[in-house]
Amino acid sequence: MSKVKRKNNAKNNLIRPIRDEKWQPVTIPLVAILISFIAAAIVILIIGKNPIQAFYNLLQGAGILPKPSYAGYKSMLTDFLSLLNAMTPLVFASLAVAVAFKAGLFNIGVSGQMLVSGFLATILVGYSGLDAIIAKPLVLVIGMTAGGLMGGLVGWLKYKFNINEVVSTIMLNYIAQYVISFFIQMYYIDPVSRQSQYISEAARLTLVNVEMANLKMDLPLGFILAIFTAVFLKFFMDKTVVGFEIKAVGSSRNAAKYAGMNVGRNTVLAMVISGGLAGLAGVTYYLGYFASIQPKVLSSIGFDSIAVSLLGNSHPIGVIFSSFLVSIIEQGSTYMSSQAGIRQEISSVIVGLILLFSACGAYLKHKVSSLKDKELDQKESES
Amino acid sequence: MDTIIIDGLSFALPLFIIAIGGIYSEKSGITNLALEGFQGFGAFIGALSAVLMANASGTDIQNLFYVALLFSMIGGMGFSIIHAVLCIKFKADQVISGVVINILALALTTFLTAQINSFVFGTASDKFQLGVSDRFTIEGLANIPVIGAVFTNVYPFEVIIIVIALFAWYLLYKTKFGMRLRASGENPHSVDAAGVDVAKTRFSAVLISGLLSGLGGMCFAYSISANFSSNIYMGYGFLAIAALIFGNWRILPTLAACLLFGFAKSGGAFIAQSMALPSSFTDLFMILPYVLTLLLLIFFSKSNRAPRALGEIYDKGKR
Repeated sequence: MSKVKRKNNAKNNLIRPIRDEKWQPVTIPLVAILISFIAAAIVILIIGKNPIQAFYNLLQGAGILPKPSYAGYKSMLTDFLSLLNAMTPLVFASLAVAVAFKAGLFNIGVSGQMLVSGFLATILVGYSGLDAIIAKPLVLVIGMTAGGLMGGLVGWLKYKFNINEVVSTIMLNYIAQYVISFFIQMYYIDPVSRQSQYISEAARLTLVNVEMANLKMDLPLGFILAIFTAVFLKFFMDKTVVGFEIKAVGSSRNAAKYAGMNVGRNTVLAMVISGGLAGLAGVTYYLGYFASIQPKVLSSIGFDSIAVSLLGNSHPIGVIFSSFLVSIIEQGSTYMSSQAGIRQEISSVIVGLILLFSACGAYLKHKVSSLKDKELDQKESES
Repeated sequence: MDTIIIDGLSFALPLFIIAIGGIYSEKSGITNLALEGFQGFGAFIGALSAVLMANASGTDIQNLFYVALLFSMIGGMGFSIIHAVLCIKFKADQVISGVVINILALALTTFLTAQINSFVFGTASDKFQLGVSDRFTIEGLANIPVIGAVFTNVYPFEVIIIVIALFAWYLLYKTKFGMRLRASGENPHSVDAAGVDVAKTRFSAVLISGLLSGLGGMCFAYSISANFSSNIYMGYGFLAIAALIFGNWRILPTLAACLLFGFAKSGGAFIAQSMALPSSFTDLFMILPYVLTLLLLIFFSKSNRAPRALGEIYDKGKR
């Protein structure tokens, strides 16, 4: 066998798993994840630790694999439930980014929208003493409305005044952060925790310390809603006229305009939906995962969600899987750092690397198709 | 009044140099949301080299200010290679690449700062202490009423920034290189037809943006925060982007936008202080620059025009 041919064969074997175009949306992120874990393993080796053990601890900490011992009332199940609890706002936030992205918009303001809706729901319902049966749905409605309005404002500014949504969302993030910090510190501060006062259990979207089978677990109610929302969004984007128009505007504004679609209305609408989803992320975060708000801090979920959504190809179902993965890495990192002695911060490095490699996905796709073309040419010339 | 000008300038000028970096990149046709990451990574490399050198030679870290500035530029430029390669060679979506780079910069520098602190210095700290750089006052000029404040308590980096900004202006508007760079963002095909390598031009534009952003980040680290930590990611890069869009992708209007920003910020802090309000009220005045930007954008955005080929992947075969 000639050298060239052997080299070609090796190349083919290497790219075989990602050759099928139909599966590329799945296989390319998987390759990116694989490469980044290899890169992370190298980093861990350099600082003199065992990567296999580190990754194993990561899964143990996230409740995927059993730990050797558990504290009272804890088990693998409780760990897994707190993973889902942490994952819920991330799913909503990533869906928010994904919807905006489909419309060709870039919602960097998820954290601001989360904060505003979480804050409003906290002061309107969280401190009200309403019964759980009214309070919980009301929290969701307020969250969705507040986020939707804020997202809509961004869409309107873009459509009406040609203000780049990246700039306006960043400005609104800062404004929300400072204004809400002011109100919390003036009226709602808990002097001990230096955060806003805790909300009533009735308004909280996560049932905490539920005793069952000798375990104390946290049941994230929002998680079920998050899954339903993702499935619904898939249906909405693929099967409805509105969803189609949003996507059309996203892929080409001019073409959509020529086809008689109302670009402005669709821009605003996409941002309303995106903001509404961000609002749901906000209430499941500040009134679910937490029960209070820390002033002057924007949650990192807003930026993580951009990443998660990209990794999931902005596809609603893909987003569920990618947020599951990112949540595992982030939830498991505490246990990993205590067991393996590796800094917790490495988890964000791993996530960053995954993103970096998945951003190269387009190139990989391009390379694979050009290799295929070359192969065809070769076959033709041989025959 | 004087403090408004002094603090305003020391905030506006680093922002301005980052924004110039952004202008270079965007004028060449590469959308650059990665400025935030560039300035943070540049500051990280600058701070790291200063800390290491101070440790090795035993000199005071204050004296290594210029060394830090130099290395921050190298660091920012080095990190910007990622953006350039992703956008130009790998043809990745430029917005995505920018966001990814920001996330990666934050993660990497936070991790490395803690790791290096514990490995090299044996301390459990997540920051490099730098201190605030010395300031100087030009006697004589400083006594002029109002304008005198410009020459009072000046950070040395402000002078450096002005010199570099002048050069950057000259390079972009008065040289062949600058003309080609701007043309790459408007009509890359004609640039190509004229026998100029579009990819190379854009590559160097992104590198320049990394270099200038790194410098800006280092200046923030040496003045406002007095150390390097993850607090450097305060959104300066995004503010710079807002400023350059506000300035319509031109250097002089962008300077005006940055100055407005700086003075609104220091002005807000001054008002809150002079009215002797409780500290929580300062938060309310902190929103001043952001509200002002939004309002002004409402009035000025209509006439804004981004470079025509901005964000488009250049494909030679496409006409």
